[in-house]
Amino acid sequence: MDGPILQAIVQVLTQPEVWLIIVSSALYGVFLGAVPGLTATMAVALFVPITYWLEPIPALAGIVTMAACAIFAGDVPTTLLRIPGTPASAAYVDDAYTYTQRGQSDRALGVALVGSVTGGLFGAVVLMLLGHQLANLAAFFSVAEYFWLYLLGLSSAVVVARGSTLRALFALLIGLFLSTVGLSEVHTEARFTFGMPQLYQGISFIPAMIGLFGLSEVLRNLLEPDLQRGIEEEGAGASAAEAVRSTVQRYLIDPVRSVFGPAFSQLGGRLHHALRSGTIGSVIGMLPGAGADIGSWVSMAVSKRVSSTPEAYGTDSLEGIADATTANNSALAGTWIPALVFGIPGDSITAIVIGVLLMKNVNPGPAIFEEQAVLVYSIYTIFFLANLVLLPVGWLAIKAGSWVVRVPRRVLLPVILLFCIIGSYAIKGSYFDVSVMLGMGVLGFLLERRNVPLGPVVLGIILGGPLEARFIQTLTGSGGSLLAFVNRPAAAVLAVLCFLLWVSTIVWNWQSSQEPA
Amino acid sequence: MIPHVRGHTVRSGVVLGLVLNLTLLLGGCQGDTSFPSRPITFICPWSAGGGTDQVARQIASQLEQRLGVPVNVINATGGGGVTGHTRGALARSDGYTITMVTAEINMLHWRGLTNITWRDYRPLMQVNQDNAAVFVRDDAPWDSMKELEKAVLKKPGKLTASGTAFGGVWHIALAGWLTEAGLPADALSWISMGGSAPSLQELMAGGIEVVSCSVPEAISLLEAGEIKCLGVMAENRLEDLPDVPTLQEQGYDWTGKTWRGIAVPEGTPDDRFQVLLDALRDVVESKEYKQFLEQSGFGYAARGPEAFRTALKKENQAYGEIFNSEAFQQVKSQRYGPMLFPGLLGALGLLVVGTLVVRGQLLRPVKNAQPYTQRRLRRVASIFGAVLFYLLLAEVMGYVVTAAIVLAFLFWLLDVSWRTSLPLIVVLVPLTYQVFGGYLRVPLPWGWLGW
Repeated sequence: MDGPILQAIVQVLTQPEVWLIIVSSALYGVFLGAVPGLTATMAVALFVPITYWLEPIPALAGIVTMAACAIFAGDVPTTLLRIPGTPASAAYVDDAYTYTQRGQSDRALGVALVGSVTGGLFGAVVLMLLGHQLANLAAFFSVAEYFWLYLLGLSSAVVVARGSTLRALFALLIGLFLSTVGLSEVHTEARFTFGMPQLYQGISFIPAMIGLFGLSEVLRNLLEPDLQRGIEEEGAGASAAEAVRSTVQRYLIDPVRSVFGPAFSQLGGRLHHALRSGTIGSVIGMLPGAGADIGSWVSMAVSKRVSSTPEAYGTDSLEGIADATTANNSALAGTWIPALVFGIPGDSITAIVIGVLLMKNVNPGPAIFEEQAVLVYSIYTIFFLANLVLLPVGWLAIKAGSWVVRVPRRVLLPVILLFCIIGSYAIKGSYFDVSVMLGMGVLGFLLERRNVPLGPVVLGIILGGPLEARFIQTLTGSGGSLLAFVNRPAAAVLAVLCFLLWVSTIVWNWQSSQEPA
Repeated sequence: MIPHVRGHTVRSGVVLGLVLNLTLLLGGCQGDTSFPSRPITFICPWSAGGGTDQVARQIASQLEQRLGVPVNVINATGGGGVTGHTRGALARSDGYTITMVTAEINMLHWRGLTNITWRDYRPLMQVNQDNAAVFVRDDAPWDSMKELEKAVLKKPGKLTASGTAFGGVWHIALAGWLTEAGLPADALSWISMGGSAPSLQELMAGGIEVVSCSVPEAISLLEAGEIKCLGVMAENRLEDLPDVPTLQEQGYDWTGKTWRGIAVPEGTPDDRFQVLLDALRDVVESKEYKQFLEQSGFGYAARGPEAFRTALKKENQAYGEIFNSEAFQQVKSQRYGPMLFPGLLGALGLLVVGTLVVRGQLLRPVKNAQPYTQRRLRRVASIFGAVLFYLLLAEVMGYVVTAAIVLAFLFWLLDVSWRTSLPLIVVLVPLTYQVFGGYLRVPLPWGWLGW
């Protein structure tokens, strides 16, 4: 076994071409991920024509690196502008944005960066040690199991939301209801389209997300009386007398410390939390069609349940940010497992990867581990490298992003609006999506004024479609018997987990409502 | 890595931007006579990373080299293909929008999902064809289509199958075989799934017994020995699976396939049509393209405009017969209809809203919310207006002009001085246009300025 591993490591490390690709795709991935509306999938799809001229290893190096970096970079607009860059970051958008409002955006982003890197490295280890064996897990997952898994993800969104559980449930139902617009995956007739052909495709979640968080924040800000100032950075007022020392301090030592200091002290002694979140991410990631979004929410919910300060979740919990970012980056490696072993893509990125592999005459399948061992180990090595490169590149992104919050808000708001428009238009080049963004912006604004959290709305829109599809598929398959939802062992276990989550939430709510009285 | 854009001259710069913005209401030039002189939008009705998308992106990158302008693939997904096919047909027929049309174009209108048919398009070329095949788990007790037929006959409606959404191309392929075998089209109960990948996953998990989909989609699992192939729905045996007999060899006169082709909206002028056709023909007949198809497992098929048109017409009639047949009419009505899930949600929603209202948690705003004043409400309404303005006028005036006006208006609204706002607009608008429209291939409208 040592032969191919060593060969792979040498092959990856000694090719200057691979290094060049890794560094440039890291920068490219961070940039695309940081722009609201542009996704990791889009980054990879734009890269595909270039892979035609590359060897398999540099081609895969590019894809792995840009995906890992884009997922982290999604946290930058999430934290700074309150526009989630990816659906996975919608889980902790309120927590992270609170730090920006306090002038401590570096702190939240530092935790997110270190969390992401930890998760990514953990995912790589899982991929390396267990990839082959764990692939069989997918064989336990029929539609009934997926139904419970999606329900678990949705319930997590209700659990982690701040404030009243009932309001969070209300928000979730709004999201689910919006997801039923148009033609579902399992039906031949569309509904709630009011004769508009554009509504057949339903409400796309990217414009919805940009509207709910980004635009509604613009609207809320316009109600503030004072739009003069930007948010003041911590320690920005260094005196002129100690200019030289403070310049060094300010540009070399402080930035590094301000980003990584709190992150490491936050993460030190949280090793078992990182392990738990990484495991949740990897396991959920390797189930085709589940992926980073659910991983992020479930990890956050579990984190809240075991935390000593659960009331901070949904407001300003660094623990939550750390655990959720760890899970969503480790999920990324997880999605490669079914893709490599069975040729079944776990998400749209691995779907592209399968295409690239086939084009390079590499057939995914169990045999890949024997026939293409060097290539497989190279992919593992690249996962490590990509996450290590993410550390400096992510740091640059945080520093570049932090000047954004210093811009006076009355200058910043129109620019954010412009980005909301481009971002919602970019994904499909559709004006309809821009109007969806506008509508969702108003909805988000109104909901927030009534203290209804927005995270569950987004997750409802994303998972509503799959949840309905699995529900109808299970019913059709069993001829209408509800027993089909629980008569497989894995389904029964997941059902019990869901049930426990609900019961514990009800009990916990009841207790906390008794305490103050 | 920034994807490089061939033949796309970068004409930005602060000076030019300044000129553009100062002269923004003077109208623009559209004097280009050569075709094509600006980026072409290539609509793909299916999602990024799927089979159709892969073929589209391969063709796009080769077309770019021949046409000398960027060809931008847009994934207009949703509605089982309705969105993309509708958008492609209704696009301006100036040759700057081409569409990857798939077999679904001949099904969607029979299912009543759209009025768009192949007649709304002017077909350029068919570029690929894949045949369907029938797959079962490796440990399944059937080794041929005849044995499967017997099993279906024994318990009609008990065995389940999938491969795509209800009424999708692989569903029709399987229903066609059942009809050919003299069985009702719903003798194998069809579970509607999003595509072949989740169906194969479900097959392995034991949730369904049969999958009907194309060979390249299932080849990895087949080679892994997890599933076996009972028959291919092609005229001849496939190169990839020389040991698997066709359905015709097994006594059923039935073939099932999907195809992909490229078309422009009906009414595209002849000269532009010819330019596109020449370039496309070069691409499709190139060694590079054939090699790509072979390596990715796709089947090669090339048909020129006339042959493609005839094939479309013939297939449309054939599907019409299937969809209107009595057997299929019965299948069409699903037991668990589209309103079941929204109904359940509605019931739960009423319960939650009711409780919230009774407890008085929904109707009053949060305590620390900023109160509405007339001036603030006017600001909020202006944002709404600004987005509406963009929506209505961007396509006519172009991104640069509209975005500049929107920004200028909002800066004015928020009392930002001209000394701050003007340089910002001059830098930001051209910059975003170049980055998004140029490098990231977002089809931002060019409008008056022709940029």
